[in-house]
Amino acid sequence: MKNKLFLLAAFVIFSIASNAQSVQLQFKNQFNGAPLSFDQLYQTPIGDSVKFSTLNYFISNIELVDKKGNSYKVPQDSSYFLLKHQNDSSKTISLSNIPAGKYQQLVFTIGVDSVRNTLDVSRRTGTLDVGAAARGMYWVWNSGYIFFKLEGKTINQVDSLRKNFRYHIGGYGGYDSKTINNIKVRTIPLKSLVVKKGKNPVITIDVAVERFFNSIIPVKILEHPSVMWGDFSVKLANNYEQIFNLGGIKYE
Amino acid sequence: MNKQTWIFALLITVLTCSFFVGKQSVTAKALLIPSNFPTPTYDLSKNPLTEEGFALGRKLFYDPLLSKDGTISCASCHQQDAGFVQADHDLSHGVEDRLGKRNALPIFNALFRKSFFWDGGVPKLDFVPVNPIENELEMDEKMDNVVHKLNASTNYRALFKNAFSVDTISSKEVLQAFAQFMYAMVSANAKYDKFVRKENNTLLDKEELAGFNLFKDKCASCHSTDLFTDDSFRNNGLDNEHPKDKGREEITLNLADRAKFKVPSLRNVALTAPYMHDGRFNSLEEVMNHYANSVQNSSTLDPLLKSGTRLGIPLTSNEQKQLILFLNTLTDSTLINNKDFSNPKH
Repeated sequence: MKNKLFLLAAFVIFSIASNAQSVQLQFKNQFNGAPLSFDQLYQTPIGDSVKFSTLNYFISNIELVDKKGNSYKVPQDSSYFLLKHQNDSSKTISLSNIPAGKYQQLVFTIGVDSVRNTLDVSRRTGTLDVGAAARGMYWVWNSGYIFFKLEGKTINQVDSLRKNFRYHIGGYGGYDSKTINNIKVRTIPLKSLVVKKGKNPVITIDVAVERFFNSIIPVKILEHPSVMWGDFSVKLANNYEQIFNLGGIKYE
Repeated sequence: MNKQTWIFALLITVLTCSFFVGKQSVTAKALLIPSNFPTPTYDLSKNPLTEEGFALGRKLFYDPLLSKDGTISCASCHQQDAGFVQADHDLSHGVEDRLGKRNALPIFNALFRKSFFWDGGVPKLDFVPVNPIENELEMDEKMDNVVHKLNASTNYRALFKNAFSVDTISSKEVLQAFAQFMYAMVSANAKYDKFVRKENNTLLDKEELAGFNLFKDKCASCHSTDLFTDDSFRNNGLDNEHPKDKGREEITLNLADRAKFKVPSLRNVALTAPYMHDGRFNSLEEVMNHYANSVQNSSTLDPLLKSGTRLGIPLTSNEQKQLILFLNTLTDSTLINNKDFSNPKH
């Protein structure tokens, strides 16, 4: 009997494994359609001259949804990714064990969900480790992760003076009193993503950084050179939610 | 410890049993939950108390290696003989003589608290140490650098391997060791406790008892339970304008929280001068005088400190004295003399 059960279990595991495939997500940070470079001087849509020095963001809770609305959720403990512009490998997310099928939507959170923001330290490993990967992406005094961080300098065209700007956006809604919630769940329509053996799909997500400054409301840097914990952060989160869009799907 | 006279619930009954964390055998450490206390808020199953983890937390607590320039340890601002606050400092004192923004709070009875710091900005005990470590006015260090420094020490690596079965130290084990040291620091052996738990026929004297009755009547709505705090945030009328420190509002961004601060526990209050979030009062007499005579009005002043046009709490000078005599019964000399919590190097 035991033997039969073992064989059955082995068969089930084998058949799941042979049907489950990997999917890659590649995040491409861009400015006006070209790859973002920290060495280049850009003009925001509002007319500010900028040079960037930091762009980091968390992507988490990734799901794929098929046409019937069934969703495959990447297991939570392996669904937190910290993407840093200067670290190329961090911008590619490899998902394994995705069940074969046709999917129509990619869903992910820009940031870190509220539960994970308040779990005990044993559940904050990997990209969420405040003493390693998450350095600089965590507020110690108002404890919670910084979801999206964009920093750089703006150069005033009149007097050529440089001024630093810093946007550190977080806020999971508060633990015991309600406050700012900047968690953004982004749904990306895929038309059709085919996951099956030998297909190896790669989904490209374009991140249009220039639209951080105008996708919903215009942001003049000198009026808001430093936005962290405050009401204006909600507007910036609404802006950056829109900058994540489908670049394309290819099969390798 | 005398079981007949100390009515304690024993949470972990087996004092010396060994259990396994990974491959390593560790020794469970007893944790006593006082019978007159509320339920712990910390999930002990996620980080059970062990002799090895506690000893490590204690060593870290007293180690200046945690600060940027190696000059400040946690114990610099949380001194055992001062009830784990910094004696004679209105504001906490960090590296390079920098002054913090607020008065250091005591750390005992963290096991039972709902949130931490004057503004409640940290809801989980595990993440409390990261705040002073990274605050540039306090230890001004980065948590990842603390982890690097600990990994560079063969002594610490051996201790962490012993306590947590890890070859490489990460913030998880550092913070769990800290949490063990802090949550094991239970202060519940004041004269008051012996009185309410009816131990050794302990009685409050007439004046202390009068103070206790006044306390129940006039103070216990905020300083409630035997933790002597309801863990809420309130504006106790120190000022009528609040340009410098917005208190709880800095966390919630809600104007209704302007100048509200965590109601502090009054345990060991006779030891923890100066008082208030900015350490403005040096004595309990000044605190009493504030509540009796100098509460300032503002839109967020706690309603309990306002009755019609009268501000504050009506207290005669004799009542103030009786209250202070009662507060003195909250001093737990076993906490400040407990060698378990003292500097392991001494």
